[in-house]
This record gives sequence, structure tokens and C-alpha cells, in this order.
Amino acid sequence: MGKYQIGEFEEIVLLTVGVLYGEAYGVSIKQSIEEKLMRKVSVGALQSALKRLEEKGYLTSKAGEATSDRGGRPKRYFLLTAAGTEAIEHARQIRNRLYDEIPKIALDLKLAVR
Amino acid sequence: MSPVRTSPPRWALRFFKWFCDPDLHPYLEGDLLELYELNRSSRGVSTARWRFILEVIRLFRPGIIKSFEGSQQLNQYGLIKNYYKVSMRNILRHKTFSLLNISGLGVGLASCLLILVFIHHELSYDTYNAKYHRTYRVLQHFGDEENLGTTGEVPTSSLQVWGNAPVAPALKEYFPQIENVFRFTSDFDWLVAYNDQRFQEKGIAFADSTFYQVFDWRWLAGDARSALVRPETMIISRQMAEKYFGDEDPIGKALLMDGEESYEVTGVYEIPPNSHFSFPAFISMATFINMNPDIFTSWGYVDFYTYFTLNDNADIATLEANIPEFLERHASEHPWYTIRFEPLADAYLYSAAGRQPGPTGNYGNIRIFTLVAFFILLIACINFMNLSTARSIERAKEVAIRKTIGSSRTALVFQFLVEAVLLTLFSAVMAVALVWLFHGHLEMLVGKELPVNWLLTPLHLGYAVAFVLGLGLFTGLYPALALSRFTPIKVFKGAVKTSSGGVWLRKSLVVLQFAISIMLISGTAIVYNQLQFLRQYDKGFDDDQVLVIDYGWDGKVQRSLETVKAELLRYNAVVSVAASRATPGDFFPNAGTGIASPAGELVYHGPSLYEIDEDFIPTYGMEMAAGRNFSSEHPSDSATALIVNEAAARLFGYAHPEDIVGQRFEQWGRVGRVIGVVSDFNYVSLHDDVEPLALRYATRWNTSMLSVKLRSHNYQETLTEIEKIWKTLVPHRPFVAHFKDTHFNEQYEADARFGSVFSIFSGLAIGVACLGLFGLTVFSTAQRRKEIGVRKVLGASTQRLVSLLSLDFIKLFLLAVFIAVPVSWYAMQLWLEGFAYRTAVSWEVFALAACCTLGVSLLTMSFNTLSAARANPTASLRDE
Repeated sequence: MGKYQIGEFEEIVLLTVGVLYGEAYGVSIKQSIEEKLMRKVSVGALQSALKRLEEKGYLTSKAGEATSDRGGRPKRYFLLTAAGTEAIEHARQIRNRLYDEIPKIALDLKLAVR
Repeated sequence: MSPVRTSPPRWALRFFKWFCDPDLHPYLEGDLLELYELNRSSRGVSTARWRFILEVIRLFRPGIIKSFEGSQQLNQYGLIKNYYKVSMRNILRHKTFSLLNISGLGVGLASCLLILVFIHHELSYDTYNAKYHRTYRVLQHFGDEENLGTTGEVPTSSLQVWGNAPVAPALKEYFPQIENVFRFTSDFDWLVAYNDQRFQEKGIAFADSTFYQVFDWRWLAGDARSALVRPETMIISRQMAEKYFGDEDPIGKALLMDGEESYEVTGVYEIPPNSHFSFPAFISMATFINMNPDIFTSWGYVDFYTYFTLNDNADIATLEANIPEFLERHASEHPWYTIRFEPLADAYLYSAAGRQPGPTGNYGNIRIFTLVAFFILLIACINFMNLSTARSIERAKEVAIRKTIGSSRTALVFQFLVEAVLLTLFSAVMAVALVWLFHGHLEMLVGKELPVNWLLTPLHLGYAVAFVLGLGLFTGLYPALALSRFTPIKVFKGAVKTSSGGVWLRKSLVVLQFAISIMLISGTAIVYNQLQFLRQYDKGFDDDQVLVIDYGWDGKVQRSLETVKAELLRYNAVVSVAASRATPGDFFPNAGTGIASPAGELVYHGPSLYEIDEDFIPTYGMEMAAGRNFSSEHPSDSATALIVNEAAARLFGYAHPEDIVGQRFEQWGRVGRVIGVVSDFNYVSLHDDVEPLALRYATRWNTSMLSVKLRSHNYQETLTEIEKIWKTLVPHRPFVAHFKDTHFNEQYEADARFGSVFSIFSGLAIGVACLGLFGLTVFSTAQRRKEIGVRKVLGASTQRLVSLLSLDFIKLFLLAVFIAVPVSWYAMQLWLEGFAYRTAVSWEVFALAACCTLGVSLLTMSFNTLSAARANPTASLRDE
């Protein structure tokens, strides 16, 4: 992976932030991941992943307007940075390349086995 | 729906706010509240609350928790971190300085720790006994009018631990406060055999079956309660069990004792090494009662050590107050017999009583070692302070800049303290490593096992940490205060060359160091002189080339004593052979002896007693001051003759030894005339004066040793030859022999061990002092680099420069000599008072100590002064 050091969960978080474009904040990211990946995500795990990604420069954040919802607390919106986009792009390419290199037979066999 | 009742738990919110990074807190709290609302509407309040709590707990992780540096109201973490960083840089940058400090303090701490381990061991004697604080022993006095003095008070030194048998049951019966009583006898040598293994065992005693009620020895096999109840049973130590039985179970097996009786082994024990007595085996007292029932009712027969424990709430003082009545009731026919109680806690270190059952410690030595440990630590601390203040010029600029930028003085003090504490921590680590390395060596030196595991308990580790921190603060405080005092303006102007107060203090500290070094060296020298003196002292008899064969009262040898002696004499390397009960330095009894006084009536005293034959006095080269030796030409000598020593002649009132010759005597059932006076010889130890001694002719049944005077110096060959002769004469008995001179010197072993431990630690102290001195010279020469350069340019020689640089120290040194000599003279006089025969403390010792210290310090300094004086002046002058 070399230049782009991101883990699997971090990659999912980055992708989700991209998907939610402009509407990505704590709760929405959490719900989106839980819906699409069918797995539970704790606020703690999500927040530390977001913090790490922000420190690595893949995400940037800005505070939203304070509203009367949520006990009057503002939301914090996350956006992909250029580096973030590159990182998911890079991850994707590597996966594709590796996938393409799998011999057809292996895939067939796997299908056959299943 | 009321929002108050359905809100998430307040405490969880507060907890979250407390730990959460304040930057993240509002957003995260928002998220949490939003999720709570979602959950509440879909799953109900309780699930939502539950999930809320869970989420908060899961948020408690690094990255979310606020960092310690974060908010000002928390602490000065950032500043402390900075102190640490700067201190580490300083330590790493000034490597010589740090190394000198750390190693000096490390060696000092390690020495202290080792001494502490030793002292702890000495103080731990007998403390393993559960009833330690209520165990006492009976000191007894079998005196005469004279020892009692006018007040009736018996001097402690004339009391002995060794006493009679009936006092124990009598005490138990008389005092209801006494819980348990335990007696054992003095030890005998036995020939012990099991199958084909046969050894002569030293020091087997008879003991009451109540041992387990008083002492908590480790019990390894058998039943302690019944072990010594029956006659002809014995308990043996673990070592002995392994020696005779190996892997077999010793319980129920029989050991053949002296080839005659066989005793059943009923138990295996192990007496902890920190006990004031220890024997390889105990035979049941019932056995001894069967052998000699009369002894157990005789108040005059002395062979027993008596220990007892009190009930929980009894007071020893009430017992002591009742001693006179007790004696009145039980021992009224022995008017000079008295007893005293001594706590078990005093038995090892503080007992002045005679006839101890085992080796005793010396409280004076413990005090001396404590003092040495303190000195070493003091020297190391002085080094630390001196080196730190000496560097003040270097640090002055740093301090000035910090102050200009706005640092407060407290902050600076703190900075220096952190540095000092860090250095002490490093030295503590080094000390632990050193202790780990050298602990075994110390054990070898003192000849004891010194456990260290007690140091590793949390309490002691806590003490250690506190001590190291305290030491760091203590040593760092003065330099910190001195260094932080600089005013920036003066420093920048270059006005601060040296802080004058600091110089004064530094000089007095150096004087103190020199003084301590001189004291320690002269102390070492005096200890060595004294030991040498003892070894070479004319004891009044010649034990050179005397081989002592110990046959342990063997009946067969006693029966054929004349044959054995004659056979040994036929070997040409043998000069003479003498049979006796014991030899000088061994155990001997005292005997009530009456000799006619100058006025004519019999006067009774209790001198020590030797039982010898006619060859004993010539074999040991003793001289007769008057009269004659026993002789085979006077057959009646064996029953009616007595020889005394000069001290005994004086005791019985004869100023001239000739006058006692021919006087009537009465002793242990013999009556007759004194036939001779032997010149005083030191039959015990040179710690004590020569005591009165009577020498009587031994019947064959009272002999256990042969002293063989040899002619040859080829000991190995002679020894094997004599052993061969012995084997043909006495095939049933192992050949047990030792050379008298080495044996006699063994009693000074404790002194010798003390000497070597003392000298090693004084050496260390001096080494540490030299480290400090070296450091000081480094800085003082560095300070005077320019001066040296200028002087050199003007034509000063290297020699002149070196002496210039050393002169300052020599002045301090002379001052130290004046302080050290009287102090150490006084201290060593105190130490020497423990010896009846002592070497003179001459001025040469102090001269030697002073020269040594001066030599070593000049040598230490010369590494530096020489290179400074040799350096090319351009190097020091060019930068201006």
C-alpha cells in the first residue's frame, strides 16, 4: 500500500463520507455504514477513525449551524480532501488489479464449489 | 412526553464532558443526543438510555479523551515535560559530569544497600520465632564471695548462659507466668554410624522434648510433639539426614552412636541460619536422664542452657522481682548462686554473658558499618553538590537567559531539582545492578547467607523510591538554590566568575571528604595492625607444628592410651605426644577448687580446669614459673598433685608463684598438694585476659585428644604416615585431626571478616571521594585555562603549574588531617577496648593514612592538572 496507509474500516469510513457528500456527520455516517454493511458501529470507534483520518489529511471537517435539535449542539460535517480521494482511488485500483490477476479457473472453481 | 424524564442519564453526560477532548465535545454530544432521540422513538426509553451509556463508555478511548497537556487548570504537565527534556539534554551533553555523578552516587547507594542487607540480617536473628518477644533465657552465676562485690550485684560478664538442670523445672513450677521451658545441654562429639557410613559429628546436644513450644524451627519430617519424648530417640538436621540417609526416609531408622547405643531418628528439622545457636542433631533429654539421673537434681552441676516463654500478658519484671524468693526456696544451700533473665531479643547481639551456645554478633560492628554506610553516602552526596555548584559558571548564562525571558526563580529551582532527581534515579538503577552483581561476594566475605528478598516487598520498594526521591531533592536543593540566584544583568556583564559563598561551602565539603577518607584509611590500618598483632602475639605456648587428633572419648583408645602414644612416638617425625581432655582454644569446664591460703585455711574459687598428662606442658612448650610438671617418676601425681597458672596463684593470694607450691588443695574429690605453677598462657582468646586456671592430672577416662608435636615440615607426608599408624592402631574410628595453630586462629575469623569487609567499604568510600575530587579538578582547571596559558607564555614550567593547581587542595587536605586524626584516634581506642591485648595506636598509622589519601588524590588530580599544564597555550589564548 506504501504511500496510503489506511485500514479496512478507515476505507469504509472514507467511502461513506464520499457517498454522503456534504451530508456526512457522525450520526449519518454511522447509520449509513450500519445499513449498507449490516454491521454495528459504535460512536467511539467511528469518531476515533474520523479523527485519525483527519490527522492523516484524508478528511477535513467544518462545524455546522447550531440548531434546536440535538440539545442545541452543532453538527460536524466531514468532507473528503484531495488526498482522501486519492487514497480511496488507490485502494480501489489495487483491489481491481489483484482481482484481475486471479486466474479464471480459480474463480470458476470457487463458483463451482459454492 | 416530558423531555426531562426521558432525557439520557445525566451522570453519563457529565462523565462524558469530563473526559472528552473539549474540541470534540459539542459535536460528539450532539451526535449522542441525536442517536438517543432516534433510539428512543424506535425502541423506547430504557433501551435508548442503555445504549447511550454503552456509547459513552465506548467513547472512553485514546483520541477522544482529552490530552493531559490540554487545559491549563489541570497541571503544569507541559512545563514538567520541558524540564525533563532539558534535564536529559544536559545530562547527555556533559557526559563526564553525569558519569562522575551517577557512578559516584551509584557506588555509594550500592554500598549502603549491601551494608543494609548485612545489618538487616544481623538484626533478624531469632525473629522468626513466633514467641520472639516473650522468650527469655536464664543466665546463671556460680560465684564466690569475691565476684559478688559489696552490693551483691553480679557483674553481667560473670553471668553465663550455661547453667544447671534443676533450675528449669523449678522455675516452671514456681512462676505460673512461665508457659514453656526448654533445656539443652552443651554439645558433645559423637561417632555416628549408619550402615557403612561412619563420621565423627561435632556438636550433638541433648534436648528437652519441649523445643517446639519455644522455637519455631522448620520441621521437615516426623511428629514434633512426640519426637524427643522417649529415651534413645533423636532428631537430626536436614543436612545430617541427607548425609546419612540420602533419599531414604530417616524416620524410624536407627543411628549407631559411638559404636554402642543405637538411637531412633524421630524427626528432621532445619534451624534457620539466623539463629543464635544451631546443632546438627539433638538426642532426647530422657536418654541423658537415664545415663546420669543425679545431674538433674544437682544445683552445682553445670551443663544446661535454659530457655522459657512467658504467657501472653505476663511481665518479666514481676518475675525478676521474685528471683530472690525463688532462690531462697530452691537453692538456699548455694548462697552464691544467682540467676538473671535475658530476653531472646538480646541473645545474639547484646549478650555479655559467658559460655554462649553459638557464635554471637557484635553490636559495635553494626554501628561501625552503619557509620561507614552513612559516610559513603555522605561523600557521594558531597560530590554531587560540589560538582553541580562548580558548574555554576557554565550554567550561569542559561539561568540568565531563562530569567530574562521570564522564568521565575521557583521554576528554575524546579528545573535543577528535576535534573538532580533524574541523576539519582539513574544512580539508583546502577546501584541495583551493582548489588545484584556483588551480593554473592559480600556473602562470601561475611561467611553467611544474606537474604535480599525482603527488599522486594511493596513496602520496602516504596521506601526505596521515597529514599531515592528524597536523596535527589536533598542533594539537588543547594545547587538549585545557588544556581537560580544569579541576576541576569551581572551574568551578561561577566561579573559572575564564581559564587563566593559557593566556593566556601565547596571547600568545607572537600575538607570533610578528605577527613572522612583519612579516618577510614587509618581505621582500616588499625584494624589490620590489631589482627596481625593477635596472630603474632606470644600466647605463652607454642602451637606451631602441633597436630591434634580428636578421638572423642573413645573407650577403646582410652584403654590402650599408652600403646597408642608409644606407637606414635616410634615414628621419627614425632617429637612428643600428650593426651588431654581438651587443647588450648577448646571448650573446658570450671572446677570448684580449694587451696590453702597464706593464712593456712582452704579458700574456694572456681578456676577453669585443664585435664592433662605429664607430656602436655612440654608438648606445648609452656614454661614452669615455679615447682615442677607432672612426672611419671611420681606415681602419686595422678591423684594428689595439682598445677595452677600464675593468675590462679594470684587469685589464691600468692604474690610469688613459688609460695603456692606445696600448699594443700581440694578439688573434685582429690586432695593433695600444689606441685607447680605454669607461666600464664592465653588459653582462650586475646579478646580476654588470662583467667585463673588449674591443671590436674587426667585419668585415661577423662581424655579425648592427643596432641602430637611434629618435627618435620613436610606436613602432607607426615599426616598420611600418622593416619596410617592410626588406622592400624584404631581401625574402628575415623582419623579426625587438625593443626593447632590454624585451629586456634579460627577464633579470630570473625575479626578477620570484619577487617576485610571494613577495608573494602572504606576503599569504596575513598574511591567515591576520588571521583568527586577528579570532577572538581576538571572544573577548576577548566576555569583557569587562560591563567595557565598566560603563565606558560611567561615561562612557567609544567612542574610549577601542576604544583600551583594542586596547592589549593593541599591546603584543604592539611586542614582535614587536623580534624581526622583526633576523631579516628578516639574511635579506634573505643574499638580496641574490645581486646584485652591490643596493639599501640602509633602516629605512623595516621601518617600512613594521610600519605595514602594525599597520594591518591594527587594522582587523581594529576590526570587533569598535567594535561592542563602541558597544553599548548595557543589553544587556550587564541579565542580572544
